[in-house]
Amino acid sequence: MAVIQARGLGKTYKGKTAVSNLSFDVRPGTVTGFLGPNGSGKSTTMRLMLGLDRGEGQCLFDGQPFITIQDPMRHVGALLEAKPFHPTRTARNHLRMLAAPNRVPDARVDEVLGIVGLADVAGKHPSTFSLGMGQRLGLAAALLGDPHTLILDEPANGLDPQGIRWMRDLLKSLAAEGRSVFVSSHLLSEMALMADELVVIGRGRMIANGPVEQFTKQSSANHVRVRSPQASELASLIGQKLAGTGSVKLVADGELSVVGLTSQDLGDMAFENQIRIHELATIQASLEDAFLEITGGSEEYQAQPQAPRAMNQPPGPAYGGPQQPPPAGPGGYGAPSYGGPPPNQPPGGWGAPPQPPHQQGPQGHGNTPGGQA
Amino acid sequence: MTAALKYEWMRLTTLRSTWWISGLAVLVGAGFTFIAAMSIRLSSPTEVSGTVDEDWSRFFLEAGMTQFSNVDPFPYLLAYAVAVLGILSWGHEYRHGMIRATLTAVPNRTAVWSAKFITVAGFVAVVAIVSCLISLVLTLLWFGGLDFQYDWLALLLAIFKRVVYTILVTWLVMAVTVLIRHQTFSLVLLYLWPLGVETLLRGLLAVFSGLTGSDDLYDLSRFLPFNAGGRIMQNWNGEFDENLDLFGEPLSALGGFLVFGLVVGVLVGASLAVFNKRDA
Repeated sequence: MAVIQARGLGKTYKGKTAVSNLSFDVRPGTVTGFLGPNGSGKSTTMRLMLGLDRGEGQCLFDGQPFITIQDPMRHVGALLEAKPFHPTRTARNHLRMLAAPNRVPDARVDEVLGIVGLADVAGKHPSTFSLGMGQRLGLAAALLGDPHTLILDEPANGLDPQGIRWMRDLLKSLAAEGRSVFVSSHLLSEMALMADELVVIGRGRMIANGPVEQFTKQSSANHVRVRSPQASELASLIGQKLAGTGSVKLVADGELSVVGLTSQDLGDMAFENQIRIHELATIQASLEDAFLEITGGSEEYQAQPQAPRAMNQPPGPAYGGPQQPPPAGPGGYGAPSYGGPPPNQPPGGWGAPPQPPHQQGPQGHGNTPGGQA
Repeated sequence: MTAALKYEWMRLTTLRSTWWISGLAVLVGAGFTFIAAMSIRLSSPTEVSGTVDEDWSRFFLEAGMTQFSNVDPFPYLLAYAVAVLGILSWGHEYRHGMIRATLTAVPNRTAVWSAKFITVAGFVAVVAIVSCLISLVLTLLWFGGLDFQYDWLALLLAIFKRVVYTILVTWLVMAVTVLIRHQTFSLVLLYLWPLGVETLLRGLLAVFSGLTGSDDLYDLSRFLPFNAGGRIMQNWNGEFDENLDLFGEPLSALGGFLVFGLVVGVLVGASLAVFNKRDA
């Protein structure tokens, strides 16, 4: 089984950096999610890995660049396009065409068509396929050579809920067989269920890389919610206890959000100081919370907040009452107002590998490339 | 390279357009020959009656077999029809985003590029040969009662010239399609360049020649690529062309091949360089 080692991947379009010095590993037996806002360079990175785009750095599959692999589809399966086929070549012929140069027998073509649920339309033209069926055909192509490594760009696009679940189970089972699965997706809830490891990028730069649990654990959206009629008194005590190592915020009347102390600590503190508590709840950050927090400010394309416009009323200051400021930060309540790491500066914290000047030699793999923590 | 050839063969032969374009090209060519041969036979010109002399035998058989492309300035229409296969071979890669699937199946770009040019060239060559043979049979059907003097070597050479010309035209538009990655534009160019642009240039050169009173300017038009390419096959311009200078006016068959081949070679070379260099 193969490890993917990406080292110093970089790509510039007409002076604009799309991907900069990306290094990471994808280990066998894991599903590694590839996350980033729109335009962050995910697809470009995948194309660089496969030698489809010309750029810097290299990506090795079991120590070999993709373009030097004999019968590549038997080693690396890739899905990069939403509908990567000719509309009037039948699904079966499309796969036969891909199979021929890779010495994959026709029997396998029929087998993968069955696996992805397209056996009944094997002789149909993909021009009649829905987006989801197209994705299934693309996935069939990726699975054609029974590869040990899969690189999939947004494979869930166009799939219905059953299809998404099917794909999740399929990818997890493939990883469980010891294959390396590298998959990008915008569906964070799906990724939370599927991925073991994450590579998170923003504006083409590495933001975070490591296990999913570690990713969500470091989020400041993890907090303890405390409701008490003596909230101010309790907040003061908590502030003294934290001494700058966490935070306490009064988020509503009688409700505190505490970062840096456990609910047990807070319960004991309240008991010792005879403060009445009405609610004490540990709130776990979701992958979405952590993702939005860590990629805040890294979006290439940002929508402008737009106040709702009432019917038959001219736009203007008079309408709709006082202007509401945009939300303070991603993730709503409890989310920090920091805006995440600046695009040109990798966060020093969790899991983000230090960016070497360039090229590290392939080393053992861990959560970060080059064996760095 | 074998892998790339297998891929390209499967790609070419699993598309319906390959077969209907080829079939239609042969059918139209054969139909044209049938009607032309019938018209000539029924009108009974003096050249085609009783015993036909060696020159006219060679002329009529070649003309029937190749849709009169031996007559200057008639184009060889079949070449322009099947060259569309060359445009589609690259056009589909870019129009349907197939290029990335292709390069993940066969990552060696030079092999992919070479396989396309070789496979499509082989395919259009076969179509040209089939068209020539069917057209020859139809010609003989109408001229069967006449006493022709058959020069089989000349007929074989005529077929060979059509094959060479068809491959060169196909390679030219393939190269252009790689360079511009736009099959519609390549299609337009395939017909606009020889029929529009070169005709216009020749007209302009003729006007300037008339104004200056010198034929030198107009004579330069023999180096226009498609004009030169046509000379590979053309050997009759109201009279039989014989003993032509290599680059004289008009160009000899070899001269035409060298001029047209040079243009095609430059474009084909550029297409390889660009294909290897840029993003898929």
